[in-house]
Amino acid sequence: MNDTHLWQIRHFVYSHFADTTLAPIVDETAAHFNISTQEATGYYKELHNRHALFLDLDSMSVRMANPFSGIPTDFKVHANGKTYYANCAWDMLGIPAALHTDAVIEAVCTESGESVQLEIRDGEITNNQLLVHFPLPFARWYDDLTFT
Amino acid sequence: MLLFQSEEWIDKWCKRNNLARGEVLTIQQVWELSKLWYHNRLSLEYHGRSIEQAQEIFNRAGLVSKFWYAVSQT
Repeated sequence: MNDTHLWQIRHFVYSHFADTTLAPIVDETAAHFNISTQEATGYYKELHNRHALFLDLDSMSVRMANPFSGIPTDFKVHANGKTYYANCAWDMLGIPAALHTDAVIEAVCTESGESVQLEIRDGEITNNQLLVHFPLPFARWYDDLTFT
Repeated sequence: MLLFQSEEWIDKWCKRNNLARGEVLTIQQVWELSKLWYHNRLSLEYHGRSIEQAQEIFNRAGLVSKFWYAVSQT
């Protein structure tokens, strides 16, 4: 396995998310780099093992490329004329931070179920009264990434 | 990481799920942390970060309690 290719593939996945809001499937990645699906799958698994991506290992689809989510969530981020899904309350802010852009964010209070909206505008955040709860200490984040 | 409208809602969630309360940050703190954590995530040169580099970011964001240590300490 070639490390240069590995990081190029990580970059391709992230660029694909930024451009389309979706992760590329393994076949798309294989075609882009002119490699076999088997090789691309191997690179995906290696990126998963290095915590650079988080795969659904049954489907080999990208479940998370933080801050982007590969599936719909309660954290919608509208930016650059697109709608992204974030993995959590931290990542909903990570998307405008990664894209270096303004954003309007629609989310849901975990316990009340009420919709909330906030905005990143010129680097400043609105709706300052909201709180984010980190249930697990940093030392345990990778025990169960979905729960974290 | 979960979003809440108030401390009261966090307490209710912890009680309902029988889970200990973790660390609570304001949305402003999380925005500052996000900028440090994610600003270079789309770069080809980003190859992940070491635990030491992660802790340096927490320190820069003012997150210095044991909760943010890489290894559980008693």
